Amino acid sequence: MARTRSKPAPKAAKAAKESTPEPATTTVKPLPPSDASPPKLFVLPKDTSKDSRIVTLDNPANGAPSRYYFCPEKGFYEFTRIAAPKKDCRSWLVTSEKSLDSEGKEPTTEQEGVTLGTGYVTKAADLFIATPVDLIFLILPVLAPKTTKETTPHFLELYDHLQNLASASRQWKVLLAQYPSLKVMIEKKMTLICDTVEAGGETMYRVSHEKLLVFLLKRAERVCKNGLPPSLEEKFVKNALEVPIMTIKRETSTAATSVVEETTVKEEEVAAPALATPPEIPRLLRIRTALTYLTSSYLSPSLRVSIQAQVQSSSPVDFTPLTTHLAAIVKLRSEAAALRSISDNISRKRVLEEDDEKIAEREEKKRKKEEEEKKKKTESRGIKQLKKADTSGMKKMSSFFTKVPKKT
Amino acid sequence: MLEARLEQASMLKKVVDAIKDLVQDCNFDCNDSGIALQAMDNSHVALVSMLLRSEAFQPFRCDRNIALGINLSSLTKVLRAAQSDDQLTIKAEDAPDVVNLVFESKNTDRISEYDIKLMDIDQEHLGIPETDYAATIAMPAPEFQRICRDLSALSESVSIECTKEGVKFACQGDIGSGSVQLRASSDVSNPDENVEIELSEPVSLTFSLKYLVNFCKASGLSTRVRLCLSSEVPLLVEYPMQENSYLRFYLAPKIGDEE
Repeated sequence: MARTRSKPAPKAAKAAKESTPEPATTTVKPLPPSDASPPKLFVLPKDTSKDSRIVTLDNPANGAPSRYYFCPEKGFYEFTRIAAPKKDCRSWLVTSEKSLDSEGKEPTTEQEGVTLGTGYVTKAADLFIATPVDLIFLILPVLAPKTTKETTPHFLELYDHLQNLASASRQWKVLLAQYPSLKVMIEKKMTLICDTVEAGGETMYRVSHEKLLVFLLKRAERVCKNGLPPSLEEKFVKNALEVPIMTIKRETSTAATSVVEETTVKEEEVAAPALATPPEIPRLLRIRTALTYLTSSYLSPSLRVSIQAQVQSSSPVDFTPLTTHLAAIVKLRSEAAALRSISDNISRKRVLEEDDEKIAEREEKKRKKEEEEKKKKTESRGIKQLKKADTSGMKKMSSFFTKVPKKT
Repeated sequence: MLEARLEQASMLKKVVDAIKDLVQDCNFDCNDSGIALQAMDNSHVALVSMLLRSEAFQPFRCDRNIALGINLSSLTKVLRAAQSDDQLTIKAEDAPDVVNLVFESKNTDRISEYDIKLMDIDQEHLGIPETDYAATIAMPAPEFQRICRDLSALSESVSIECTKEGVKFACQGDIGSGSVQLRASSDVSNPDENVEIELSEPVSLTFSLKYLVNFCKASGLSTRVRLCLSSEVPLLVEYPMQENSYLRFYLAPKIGDEE
């Protein structure tokens, strides 16, 4: 991928983002004020067509308008913002190194009157990376409207589907009109996830949830082939499959009476096979994690629900061993937690004792509260009644009489 | 040290009963002139001031100024143990932790003794100047109590209007309005029933009836009550006791929401 500065050549058509020159001379000039809309750093795919552009389309998951990078030959890309954590102060220093982009950046800079020659510092260390996104996800909201739950949609010709798409968003209308190649792309994708019917020489399409699920599972498997990203793997696979350590249980069994011993032995028998995770389980879990990720980030909520139901009822991949295994782990965990709570209690107390200050503070609070409560209880009925008296318009006594210092 | 003996325990009982519904805790300031008390209610719109002069006690001895911080409901509990004609002796050290109350029955040889734990009460003390009031009304204490009680059934507040003709207590409430007018009168045979009005200029002020009803709990202390009014200053309700001792209540007038 080519690394670009504010943006590479093909984006000349894109909405212009101003960037002002910021000479990094050594003179003691005051720093120029920061830009209202500083340039952003993008990593864009290389070898895209000249007609590539950034378009605003509705996000398939939540319907919010989002930016996508569109290349008529390669398809759509979504932007992923990569940012340093807030407290990690970082910024970009962008300089023009001729070697980096020699193709056609000259026009860009000229057009916008930007001279990056001496370098530019952006305050935000955000990096926007364009990653390919399947066209299917973008057209799904139109293909499978929200009402799908109740009524099965009709078979429609490709033309009608495109018409729907165009009426849903102006951007789609423009894109479809401008790039005939897009129509071909859409048709190809639709055959993947739709039931088709031949009628009068025309092919009619209707979204099929089974086909969509198969498609999603294929994607999920592809995600898993190279392994999940470490953070996902850690959180959703390793942690989920962790079997609790049951050492405490053994200790209690020695101290327990014979009757209890019998039962604990049995429990241990149950626990022993659970300790060994069957070999196919991690793969299944990975696929399911990837599937959940796909559905939650690319499918509309209504579609998500029906797809999840589909997974449970008639999935081509059988997740039942995974569900039973996970349920067993959850059960083991709750047992372990119950056993641990006793020892936890003791250790927690010890921790508190160390913190004398906190204890004192808490006791003080408690004492005050109790005192107040006691005071309230000893309040006579008359005083309680007087509290209800309307004292509006009545000044305090101290505004009539002056305070005197105490004699004693 | 403090040692003060009251001929009648009932007197202290009545005083405490009259103020315990206004304040919870207060300092009894003892010095050689007697025992004084000043406290405000929770909202600080009313003030109670009591003075039991040393002459009211027989004997009275107080070497040093002592502040006895007492919870009034505790004191009530202890005073309940006294019979009304018991003699009461109050005793305390110079830097006391407790106050000691001894009840002696006159007829029998019964002596009961109680200690009440003292409290540290941080109360602000207000200086109350001698005031020439525009109107001073003296009337039978039960009469005032009756007026307050009757009118409080109708309204939250009462206007007290004092003119040459007399004094008029009037109120307006949801169910209607009511007023009680009293004219100056003197009954030679029964001077306790007199209504005396001293007026330098007419005044009209509005007060919270809930507070006035509360003050009237002191009616048992005295046959007479004195109301002193001037515009823009608190009403003084005074119950005189023997030997120039008194129990006084001050109440801020309601200003701004005239009825």
